[in-house]
Amino acid sequence: MNAIRFDRKSIRNQLVTAFVFTSIIPILLVNIIYYYNTSKLVQQNVEGMTKANLEQTKVSLDVWLDSYEDIAILDSPGHASYMEMGIFEDLTGKFDVDNYYEGTVNSCTVDGKLYGVPFGVNCLALYYNEDMLKDAGCEVPTTWDELKTTAKALTTDSVTGLALCSVQNEEGTFNFVPWLWSTGATSYDINNENGIRALTFIQDLVNEGVMSKECINWTQGDVMNQFISGNVAMMENGPWQIPTMQSEAPDLNWKVTLIPKDSQYSSVLGGENYAVINGGNVEGALDFLTYATSEEKVKFLMDKFGYISADKTIAENQFEADSPYAPFVEELNYAMPRGPLAEWPSVSDAISLAFNQVITGTATPEDAAAEAQATIDGIVK
Amino acid sequence: MNRIKKIFRYDNVGMLFVLPAFLYMLIFVGYPIVRNIILSFQDVDAGNLVRGTKNFIMFANYSELFKDGVFRTSLWNTLRYTVLCLVFQFIIGFILALFFNQRFTLAKPVRGILLVPWMIPVTVTALMFKLLFATDIGVINYILRSLHIISKNIEWLTTPGSAMFALICANVWIGIPFNMILISTGLTTIPKELYESASIDGANKVQTFFHITLPLLKPTIESVLILGFIYTFKVYDLVYVMTSGGPVNSTHMLSTYSYKLSFEMFKYSKGSAVANVLLVILLIVGIFYIKVTTDGEED
Repeated sequence: MNAIRFDRKSIRNQLVTAFVFTSIIPILLVNIIYYYNTSKLVQQNVEGMTKANLEQTKVSLDVWLDSYEDIAILDSPGHASYMEMGIFEDLTGKFDVDNYYEGTVNSCTVDGKLYGVPFGVNCLALYYNEDMLKDAGCEVPTTWDELKTTAKALTTDSVTGLALCSVQNEEGTFNFVPWLWSTGATSYDINNENGIRALTFIQDLVNEGVMSKECINWTQGDVMNQFISGNVAMMENGPWQIPTMQSEAPDLNWKVTLIPKDSQYSSVLGGENYAVINGGNVEGALDFLTYATSEEKVKFLMDKFGYISADKTIAENQFEADSPYAPFVEELNYAMPRGPLAEWPSVSDAISLAFNQVITGTATPEDAAAEAQATIDGIVK
Repeated sequence: MNRIKKIFRYDNVGMLFVLPAFLYMLIFVGYPIVRNIILSFQDVDAGNLVRGTKNFIMFANYSELFKDGVFRTSLWNTLRYTVLCLVFQFIIGFILALFFNQRFTLAKPVRGILLVPWMIPVTVTALMFKLLFATDIGVINYILRSLHIISKNIEWLTTPGSAMFALICANVWIGIPFNMILISTGLTTIPKELYESASIDGANKVQTFFHITLPLLKPTIESVLILGFIYTFKVYDLVYVMTSGGPVNSTHMLSTYSYKLSFEMFKYSKGSAVANVLLVILLIVGIFYIKVTTDGEED
């Protein structure tokens, strides 16, 4: 990879782009940096504080602007695209990530080199309606076969057994890959027994009526709404739905469990990473990262934003054992990142297209797998 | 003194008045279009957007596009969607305009109410139709089932063919008031004396319609159809909310596919090439419109 030095102006442009892509997260970053700089300034200038109040405001602003150009925070699947642009500092050996979940570290690693630090993570797991399961006399499913049987038992005239967001875009891919990976297939190798088995499984669920074909028009939010309205008995979704579910349907009895497995448990990683922009104040940025990843700060940030800490030790104590968030912490052990790959959006498009083809019945699992593989081979060579 | 006078001659002052609008158009309309055309001849994606190495690859984006199945589908979709929408909107709008042109007690208020679909934000309409056409909870399936027309729910939005049908239904509903109101206005400009003298001459309703109403409405009809074409051809919000181009890329329009290429897959150049195809087609229609309307004025 060519490391290209960037002037301040192009980094500013870059950050604006990053801002557009990752929406509100940069605002959060600005706040953390602001806290950090304030605390630093207070430390350094305690004696002169009263004298040079005005002066400090100016200094603070300068440092603030500088730091904002040294640190970026971005959605983890997009990390690779930016790494490719060569704007991130190599942090290998400079920041200790041993304690972090493997998947989260992989999302900011290219060719064994670390180009970021995980900020916070989330993943998908299976929600189930406890009352419906009890009424149907079902156990919580742990394998695909059990899932299918349970979903069938739960399906009635007004309820479908399972729902997962199947929209044909990145959001859909996010929900499909756990099923794909559970068979042992990878995102880049689909046209084999494993990939076809995953496609067939989803197609069967739809054909047997235990999953509604309308999932292709349901976002993750829509799926959650169907679940709390009692139209769906089980759903694949993320922890960020929990606050809404608790306030919208306080009486609904639901629990979260691992996504049932084919040959191995599997989930997909979402979340944000920090990155240090090269050519700037790398030392200061690293100092900031140490500050921002301290247990106290991480706990505050994660609670505020409904994320799970990427730091194993913090994550394990982040929630009470009976908290609905707790299963997500367990699921994190099986969660893998999408990519990291600069051309991930194109690969993602091929995967979500294949699943949409089998759900709508416009292609057989074999044809869909072959077509997706052809597209992916054209990208990843 | 003379020179100053010369500068402020009538014609030049006119130019000064045009200047703000001209600058506005140049910056906010002209620049994006030119930039977009340049972009479509380059090779720009997420990787080199900021890096600055934007190679000119001339028509490679376009030739790739015409080999791309999804692009061909979206071009064909846009055309057939536009034509079908126009036909139904125009016919139903025309009939309603003729109907409300009769003088009866509630004609005016009811015509006002019929404008509501045109005023509702398109995204709201799209969400409404998405729910109407939903398979299990949709009102349309419920009515059809209650009337025993169907025994099994129709999967409107999840089957390629019927998803297009649902989109056309939604857009016809939005477009009818637009057609109706413009044709109504056109009808009021036809002098009543013509109808009176025609009836004295013994012409029946059908004859007056084909020999007086239609010929005198010609300029209105031309405007309605061409403006309708432009509005319908660049559809984006309706499709994005109702189907997002799915199922399986079957309802992508040029606009939604351009968006998908540019902002979901970060292939900015290809996305802008699609947008330019859209632009060229609309430009041709636009020139045609200007020609038709100015010809009318000269008559």
